[in-house]
Amino acid sequence: MSTAKTVPAAKPGNARLSKIMQATLSRPTTLISGILLVLIAASAIFAPLIAPTNPYDLSTVSILDGRLAPGEEMFDGTIAWLGTDGAGRDVLSSILYGLRTSLTVAISSAAVALAIGLSVGLTSAFYGGRIDAFLMRVVDIQLSFPAILVALVLLALLGKGIDKVIIALAIVQWALYARTVRAAAMVERRKEYFEAATCLELSNARIIWKHLLPNSVSSLIVLATLQTAHSISIEATLSFLGVGVPITEPSLGSLISNGFDYILSGAYWITFFPGVMLLATVAAINIFGDQLRAIINPRLSK
Amino acid sequence: MLAFILRRVIQSVVVLFVMSLIVFSMINLVGDPVDMLVNPESLPDEIERVRRDFGLDQPVHVQYWRFMAGAFSGDLGNSFIFGRPALALMAERFPATLELAVSALIIAVTVGLPSGVYAGLRPNGWGSRIIMGGSVLGISIPTFWLGLMMIIVFSVQLGWLPVSGRGDTEQFLGLESSLFTLDGLQHLIMPATNLALFKIAMVIRLARAGTVEVMALDFIKFARAKGLSSRRIVRAHLLPNILIPIITVLGIEFGTLIAFATVTESIFAWPGLGKLVIDAIVNLDRPIIVAYLLFVVALFLVLNLVVDIIYAVLDPRVRLQGDEG
Repeated sequence: MSTAKTVPAAKPGNARLSKIMQATLSRPTTLISGILLVLIAASAIFAPLIAPTNPYDLSTVSILDGRLAPGEEMFDGTIAWLGTDGAGRDVLSSILYGLRTSLTVAISSAAVALAIGLSVGLTSAFYGGRIDAFLMRVVDIQLSFPAILVALVLLALLGKGIDKVIIALAIVQWALYARTVRAAAMVERRKEYFEAATCLELSNARIIWKHLLPNSVSSLIVLATLQTAHSISIEATLSFLGVGVPITEPSLGSLISNGFDYILSGAYWITFFPGVMLLATVAAINIFGDQLRAIINPRLSK
Repeated sequence: MLAFILRRVIQSVVVLFVMSLIVFSMINLVGDPVDMLVNPESLPDEIERVRRDFGLDQPVHVQYWRFMAGAFSGDLGNSFIFGRPALALMAERFPATLELAVSALIIAVTVGLPSGVYAGLRPNGWGSRIIMGGSVLGISIPTFWLGLMMIIVFSVQLGWLPVSGRGDTEQFLGLESSLFTLDGLQHLIMPATNLALFKIAMVIRLARAGTVEVMALDFIKFARAKGLSSRRIVRAHLLPNILIPIITVLGIEFGTLIAFATVTESIFAWPGLGKLVIDAIVNLDRPIIVAYLLFVVALFLVLNLVVDIIYAVLDPRVRLQGDEG
């Protein structure tokens, strides 16, 4: 098939990307939520460098520092700006480390879900017919159950562990990606370049990989953003319920859950601050995603 | 229509069967419930006896066969922890969950609908900006965390409301509910509001979108031209048109409320289904987990079927899958 190379796949275009960049910089809401996101991501990545203490280094954590109020000084002279928890860990440092776990879980599960969803959605759109009907029925059935419930069930069945949480969250999310990418791919299928590719008898794999995929994937940008926010909250909820990440690597949800035991004694900061961080992260992603949607598809913004 | 219903019912039974198979085989891979049940110092033969008593010494397929045989006669096994039938335990807990979910639904509509309509009528006003901002916040805020904050503010700091549990219940018109006593209401208000929060944000968005869409239509302009008061336009022309989609969505979402109740019930120690199943997951009480899952799957299959049928009845343009063949 020497002619294969002469068929150019329709380009999703760098023009679109630069348009998005431009629009991002010119809208204050988008810009602020974007900056907030970058800050949050940076503090998660560089947590070991910026955190005042290492909350998991047992040689420095002292039970004598337990339940200090925000701003009080710990035994070794460090100031616990957000207080300490029952075991004497600095809440600020725990939050930074917890954010890491939360983001790792959310992003890895989104990546896995995206891969599964893309494969299923593209297969479904490309082959159509019975395969399509069957796959979409599975998607429908899965989506008729609320995410939190599916995740809860999966974790009850899989057991504990970060990998298990990632698997559960990926299974929860793939269906939505599959449905969205299928819808986009169905539209692309009717376009002329697709017909041309079929006429040239390019292999199915090549058509799907080189033509269908690049043109359908942009529909997933917004969804992936909003889904990441969603999976951060689901993970937090699961960890709060005690079926999520293990206590050795607490996420924001586990920190909140840990503080639950102290709220009646008035030590509000152990639950309050991790929750604020969780809220800020989820809200920043949601707002940014909403703005992105408005930029990509201006018709929907009103 | 009949063909559609029949097909969906058969499909639902298949889904239920597949779920039971998956759940049953997978749950046997996690942990050993006998470890949770016996005294750690008991002798090996005693442990063996417990294992035999619960039928856990049998291979998985035999256990599954026994379970299915029981299931067809309405017996989903006994709880390992309580030693009583799983179904009976669930039936006892269900009213509390139902009460919580219904209250949350009522709160969501009474708060969400007026705010959403208001925001839709004045899309650019300050009030509606605040409402819409609030709804973004409502979707982003982790509900369980907000529940804890509510406890801190209203129970610990202000001391107005009880921290947890369900209050006194009383019979009224044959219904036993905590809605009819002051103590019951005091216990109910925080969990119900907490559960409603996410739905409030959703109702606001739906109501606003519907209002914006309908207010631009010709019949509203005509009603205006006739000189009707805005109040009458909203009541007689706007509301009936936006309510149908809202009610349908809420119908679907009712299932989610029951599911989300697991979280709310854990925070407020509300003695409902959700608390039962979370405890069961922690204690590896398999019969309860399996029974709860099958119950929820069945509930969702029925809800979805009903919603699909209602759609078709309300809007004849909707063609149901299976009608074509």
